[in-house]
Amino acid sequence: MSENSAPLIIGFLCNWCSYAGADMAGTSRAAYPSNIRILRVPCSGRVDPMLIVKCFQEGADAVLIAGCHPGDCHYNEGNYYGRRRFALLKELLDFMGVERERFRIEWVSASEGKRFSKIVTEFTNEITSMGPRKAG
Amino acid sequence: MASDFTQQIRQKAIELLENGTVECVIGYETGSDGIGARPAFIYDAAEADRLVFDNTCTHNLVKYLLNKKGKSTAVVVKGCDSRALNLLLNEKQIERDKAFVIGVVCPGIVEWGWNKRSQRLQKRCDWCRQHTPVVSDFMVGDPVTEQPPAAFADIVEAEAKTAEERASFWQQHAERCIRCYACRQACPGCYCTDCFAESLDPEWVGIRIAPAESQMWNTIRAFHLAGRCISCNECERVCPVKLPLSLLNRKLEQKVLELFDYKAGMSEDAPAPLITFKKDEKLGIAE
Repeated sequence: MSENSAPLIIGFLCNWCSYAGADMAGTSRAAYPSNIRILRVPCSGRVDPMLIVKCFQEGADAVLIAGCHPGDCHYNEGNYYGRRRFALLKELLDFMGVERERFRIEWVSASEGKRFSKIVTEFTNEITSMGPRKAG
Repeated sequence: MASDFTQQIRQKAIELLENGTVECVIGYETGSDGIGARPAFIYDAAEADRLVFDNTCTHNLVKYLLNKKGKSTAVVVKGCDSRALNLLLNEKQIERDKAFVIGVVCPGIVEWGWNKRSQRLQKRCDWCRQHTPVVSDFMVGDPVTEQPPAAFADIVEAEAKTAEERASFWQQHAERCIRCYACRQACPGCYCTDCFAESLDPEWVGIRIAPAESQMWNTIRAFHLAGRCISCNECERVCPVKLPLSLLNRKLEQKVLELFDYKAGMSEDAPAPLITFKKDEKLGIAE
């Protein structure tokens, strides 16, 4: 992202909850910034840490991962595994200079359209105020 | 002491090879400069007098067991190496009954290079809290009482910098990385036959010469060892451009200990932190 342009946020949304939640945001006319580019994945546990590192490497300013609430996973336990992985990855990324605010994990159910729009709006505002990523 | 260790290892090797318990003993011998040790593969009892053990025996020989699958092999391990053995047993990469483990209570390994040996201990030996092997069939030396867990002073220091400083620190190191993958070759935990680094579709690490690609490699290499790294620090030792890889490994080691109360390679069957979970754990994300 250059100094004046809008931040680029990559969102990995689980098919069963959060993607449907984003859909719900649309059908209920809840607006959210278009900075987020949504990628539909079968489960938040499917999001390989390599995908996240690659996003940052290729110039994304922030990454959002949204999945079913713990206990609600369509595959019963995918998000539990993901949660452990992301908790560690967040620490490693922060250690390598990607501030922890730039990597967010949220649980959004299919009925939480309004909440999804609120999360994305807040996240975009936060990243915009942080400015573009520095080196690395 | 060292010559005593050498004698005991030689005797055991002769015994194992003569009675046919193993077909190969993997140990150390003195290199051609007459100073530093190098790995030795002994197939014949008559050659067992090549084996030595001194404070230059730095290699993690457990890695070679991966090439000896299905064959009875004896291997000389130090404390840190023995944790690698547990790691590979845990991940079902080697069979316990095929490996005869000659454990050596490690006196500490010094910094050395071609034709020179210092008296300074390696960095990993300062952190080391596992001088006595955690797994062995035959123990050389007397088990020692281990000190309390090491502090992560170097990590705290690195964390004190701003995010921008940290980013440029790793950027500068990434610029020096020549992606020779020596770190991978030396690591007992890196045994995938198809490494992501060579994958062309998807091309995780591009072939262009760019710091971004090297950083991708170093980040993911470290993350693939999260909860698996046994701190033998061979990756950093073999690095031709001396990247501070142990910082990444130790950062993850610290977090794994903090979040999951887990230390890699301490037991053969404790499940690794990333292949298990607890439903109601608090990990500081999305709460």
